[in-house]
Amino acid sequence: MIEVKNLQKHFGDLHVLNGIDEVVHDGEVVVVIGPSGSGKSTFLRCLTLLEEPTDGQVIIDGQQINAPGVDINKVRQNIGMVFQHFNLFPHLTVRKNITLAPVKLKKMTQEQADAKAIELLTKVGLADKADAYPAQLSGGQKQRVAIARALAMEPKYMLFDEPTSALDPEMVGEVLDVMKRLAQTGMTMVVVTHEMGFAREVGDRILFIDEGIVMEQNNPKDFFANPQNERTKSFLSKVL
Amino acid sequence: MAEWWESITKTFYRCFIRDNRYKLLITGLENTIRISLAAACLGIIIGFLLAVCSLSKNRFLNGIHRVYTDIIRGTPSVTQLMIIYFVVFATVNWPKWLIASIAFGINSGAYVSEIIRGGILSVDIGQTEAGRSLGLNGRQTMFEIVVPQALKNIFPSLGNEFITLIKETAIVGYIGLVDIQKAGDFIKSATYEAFMPLIGTAIIYFVLIKLLTFGLNKAETNLRKSDIR
Repeated sequence: MIEVKNLQKHFGDLHVLNGIDEVVHDGEVVVVIGPSGSGKSTFLRCLTLLEEPTDGQVIIDGQQINAPGVDINKVRQNIGMVFQHFNLFPHLTVRKNITLAPVKLKKMTQEQADAKAIELLTKVGLADKADAYPAQLSGGQKQRVAIARALAMEPKYMLFDEPTSALDPEMVGEVLDVMKRLAQTGMTMVVVTHEMGFAREVGDRILFIDEGIVMEQNNPKDFFANPQNERTKSFLSKVL
Repeated sequence: MAEWWESITKTFYRCFIRDNRYKLLITGLENTIRISLAAACLGIIIGFLLAVCSLSKNRFLNGIHRVYTDIIRGTPSVTQLMIIYFVVFATVNWPKWLIASIAFGINSGAYVSEIIRGGILSVDIGQTEAGRSLGLNGRQTMFEIVVPQALKNIFPSLGNEFITLIKETAIVGYIGLVDIQKAGDFIKSATYEAFMPLIGTAIIYFVLIKLLTFGLNKAETNLRKSDIR
């Protein structure tokens, strides 16, 4: 379970997050939407402490992770992260991208990690690309590898930061498919996205973030059919 | 023409063959290579540590980097060499080539640190974030992910610095070491010939650096393997 209490993030005078209180239950798929600059990516990055919260608490499985003395590397092993720009390691093959962390962190031997890599690549439909370098892949393929890389650490939670925003339109589907299948396995996911179709179909709950707070949240059906907040209505009228 | 040729061969004989003078040049070449290699290794170590200092958030470490590069850049290398040899290591009985290597390593470190710093900064921050998000610590991320990519970016500049370093070592004669330059100089004094020994010296440096450039280019092609689409 991920709990967030009064989460604040300020960059100087700019208050990006203004006190978010939220709980993500195990097995839940929470989709975060909102206009650009609303703080949704910052919110997601705070969950794995890529951004240090200015104030408030991030609590993962009962442990406050933004407290002094916490081994954040240990915590992060349990939280996979997928980035908008993939951030694959360009100097390593696909296989090495996936096995680097599990082997370095002594979670698996190289043989075990290699087997795991093939298993994951098969799941994302790229088993034949194990020995390719990232530069040889299309955007959609890169993002699927990035998902496999995050899954190789066998995390309990997966965070997605606009995973399809940097893709050509015809490649969006293949990545969303992988994410949908992942959701069906019961993975706990927090997804920041502009893909309303995905939000509606796969999300258990939609959070609408604007001006650094959760303006509105609901199950997808009611959220899209019957938005309450004026800003939600205005946002949805622009994107739907 | 025949006379001209004969005088050339005679001078050549006198400069390089008689009294085994070529052996002097070989000793010189050995010393140049030995000092350059040792200094380059030390320079890369110092350069990396300084680069880490300059990129750290600690202001004291930033200061170390700034003062170090200021001093090295602000004084001639021959002055630095002589201070290291005649002052710092005055009472230490180490081989001269080792002391010279330390002096050049210290000098080169300042320039290498700027190269490495630029190389590390040129790697996208997303790479670090991806590494850290997987649970790798800062050091693992630096050495497994950032440094290998930075290395590819800085390799040409680093090679260039090594070439500069080789030529810089031509001043070790100041502390009584025989390198290529000094060997040529000895021959010049012994034979009263200027042309042949000096051109010979130049050719040896040129060939040495040409070979090195060739090797560096090969290595760079190898490093760029992962860029091939």
